[in-house]
Amino acid sequence: MKPDLQMARDDARPNPTVLLMGNPNSGKTSLFNALTGSRQRVGNYPGVTVEKREGHWIHQGRIVTVRDLPGTYSLSSYSPEEAVASEELLAGDHDAVVVVADATVLRRSLMFLLQVMRLDKPVVFCLNMADEARRAGQQVDKVELARLLGVPVVETAAHRGEGVAELKAAVAAAPTRRALPPAPEIRELIAGLPAVEPVRDDVDASTRRLQAFGRAADLLMERTVLAAPREDHRRLSQRIDRVVAHKVWGMPIFLAVMYAVFWLTFTLGEAPMGWIEAGVARLGDGVTALWPGSPESPLLSLLVDGIIAGVGGVLVFLPNIVLLFLGLSILEDTGYMARAAYIMDRVLSRVGLHGKSFLPLVTGFGCSIPGIMATRTIENERDRLATILVLPLMSCGARLPIWLLIIPALFPPAWRTPALWGVYLAGIVLAMGLSLLLRGTLLKGEPTPFMLELPPYRMPTLRSLVMRMWDRSRQYLRKAGTVILAISVVLWVLTTFPRPDAYEVDAELAAGAAYTAEQAAGIRAAEDLEASVVGRLGRWLEPAFRPLGFDWRLVTASLGAFAAKEVFVSQMSIVYALGEDGDPGELGARLGNHYSSRVGVSMILFLLVGTPCMATVAVTRRETGGWTWALLQFGGLTVLAYLLAWLAYAAGGWLS
Amino acid sequence: MLTPALEDYLETVFRLVARHGAARVRDIAAARNVKPGSVSPAMKRLDKLGLIRYERGEYVGLTDSGLAAARKVYSRHQVLHRFLGEFLGLPADVAEQDACSMEHSLSPQTVDAIVRFLEYMEVCPEASDDIARFRKCSAVHPDVDPCPHDCGIVPLTIERTPIMSIAQMQPGQRGRVRQIGGRGAVRQRLLDMGLLPDVTLLMERKAPTGDPVWIKLQGFEMALRRSEAELVSVETA
Repeated sequence: MKPDLQMARDDARPNPTVLLMGNPNSGKTSLFNALTGSRQRVGNYPGVTVEKREGHWIHQGRIVTVRDLPGTYSLSSYSPEEAVASEELLAGDHDAVVVVADATVLRRSLMFLLQVMRLDKPVVFCLNMADEARRAGQQVDKVELARLLGVPVVETAAHRGEGVAELKAAVAAAPTRRALPPAPEIRELIAGLPAVEPVRDDVDASTRRLQAFGRAADLLMERTVLAAPREDHRRLSQRIDRVVAHKVWGMPIFLAVMYAVFWLTFTLGEAPMGWIEAGVARLGDGVTALWPGSPESPLLSLLVDGIIAGVGGVLVFLPNIVLLFLGLSILEDTGYMARAAYIMDRVLSRVGLHGKSFLPLVTGFGCSIPGIMATRTIENERDRLATILVLPLMSCGARLPIWLLIIPALFPPAWRTPALWGVYLAGIVLAMGLSLLLRGTLLKGEPTPFMLELPPYRMPTLRSLVMRMWDRSRQYLRKAGTVILAISVVLWVLTTFPRPDAYEVDAELAAGAAYTAEQAAGIRAAEDLEASVVGRLGRWLEPAFRPLGFDWRLVTASLGAFAAKEVFVSQMSIVYALGEDGDPGELGARLGNHYSSRVGVSMILFLLVGTPCMATVAVTRRETGGWTWALLQFGGLTVLAYLLAWLAYAAGGWLS
Repeated sequence: MLTPALEDYLETVFRLVARHGAARVRDIAAARNVKPGSVSPAMKRLDKLGLIRYERGEYVGLTDSGLAAARKVYSRHQVLHRFLGEFLGLPADVAEQDACSMEHSLSPQTVDAIVRFLEYMEVCPEASDDIARFRKCSAVHPDVDPCPHDCGIVPLTIERTPIMSIAQMQPGQRGRVRQIGGRGAVRQRLLDMGLLPDVTLLMERKAPTGDPVWIKLQGFEMALRRSEAELVSVETA
């Protein structure tokens, strides 16, 4: 102990900053949420891209800022998370550290705490999940533990808000509290041990160091554990695991669970989608009815056909996004995801990926961007690169609207759920094949460790589910409000100008052709499009895409998909709704009339595999530190997509 | 089941009751060198287990079963203390300290065996010669006169337990970690997760083809690949 810490710290800042540290699965994030409520923001650490969460609360007129560090098992720096956590701890500008522990895994938590304590910062020890420990029959003498450690000990059950007020008070007081040294018997055991393992390969020294921390933890437990957890306190979890982690049944159960999630996304989303569709249509009608100027005004067209139809076409899929993330969050919060990684690792390691690749890949089902960012938990650079490169093959949430548009339009009802499931499965299978190829060629090397904690099953709390869903929906809506809005306007311009000098349909009408006014307007709209910039580009590229069964409209919309995958839908909606009332429900029927299921398959494959969106390219560039991998990913996937779509279309031709 | 902390409390109560007829919370705290606030949860726990009873004021006494349990704990301590001190001839403070830590971890069978051994040493007339010879033996005390017998090199007949890697364990089998191999990140992570020498673990299940494996240790469960499981050697019962 440094002498200046022995004294009361009168120089403590009025608005202190504290760090939240702990093992993964210690409930750190729910504690962070309980402490800060909505007063938080999420950013990134400079240089590395480990997520940085910061929030604050007011304690007796003082603003206490809290920084949530990534979960780690030690302060060594083998992974980016550990590096960030130990760097922040060693050099960070903070006044106290809260070490969060899963009270049911006391020994390992104490070992971690003792390592942090070696750094002589004011520490508060938070025994989280105290309710679970109590149910397991464990009783710890907090007072004695605090005396032996020389740091305040608070019991919390963050997901129920239990003990949070007490923790807030302890944290606020920590920087000014008179720091006490640990009891002599503990101090003796850990004296001279470095908090951080020096980087060297002295095998015995590192074992001895951790064994010493282990002995200190044993002594602490010997003195303070009044009742040990019952031997069978995980009985329920173990019973569930006997089924879901079963040698034979584990894999089919996992696939069935995924199927169920997608099925619910599809069915439950239907009704709210109808409401949003109707709302968007009514808004378009309302604006047209109230428009003070001419109904032919290009400004009205921009507003109704460009902005309202474009953004509305994206908004429609919000219920699906919310439902999909609800499903994935439940799987994650209950602890099933860890089992899924256990079940999947055998398969993933065979194709050169890592069980840890599983979570980023699953996140990729939501959006490739957070998925790619989540690969930071993978220590080995080659494993990580392989995961990043194949990640866009996971059918992201933005592509879901495309499937939801194409599948019902081009496939018979009985085939819809299997088709959607098949799309996701095709992405997974392709990702595996591709990563195997990568690990055999560009990314040769040893596989990395797979060590994964399997926490007991827990009931997810409504609060955390709602927070996560809100987070995802907000990201999606923000994209709809900014990028998509801008692109809708640009695309409207590109699809509207230049205008044709004269309409052929007018000439035909003059020659006595029998079109209704409605049909004439539709043809006029088509002619408008053909004459526009996008129409010209699509036509120009059409020959190259003919082997895939694409017409110029599909080429045009696929070009738009580079900007953001869901733009495909809004562009199709503009392409087909121009001259219409802007009714998005019409779109499916129109596609059904225009394209066969054979084109549907080719279209799905091209959009699934090809042209990762510009945001993905940008994030890959940032995460891999250069353009090489980003461009390789973009080019490679697009070529692959072209070949696959071509093969599928050709095969469809031979079969029929 | 009594935890080590509770056993110590029970022993303290027993000593105080033996000396003063009853134990005060304040005295228990002083004897155990803890704050009085720590004593009451422990006493509540012991009360719940039916081992102590509250008497007038802050005095506690032992129930019949508490007395029996405390005697057992106390005599175990005494036995170990005498074994280490009188028989093995270790200094008093070392004997006291080691007796304290051994009493919680030894199985009842081992304590029984040591008791029988001590009884033999005290009761059997020939044993005193044995113990004198043992103390004189140069293998233990290198500075005494050479022994008349020529034993040659003493084979240390410590019973061998089968040693294998975690990957070779069968589901349901228990093991005790001996060594952790590997290097760099893999080794560090194994150690950080708590796979340290002397830790006991249980093989919970294995995925088909034995990769990955699912183990239980120290209150939590984890999965590791066969390639990592092969790095950790364990002795199995």
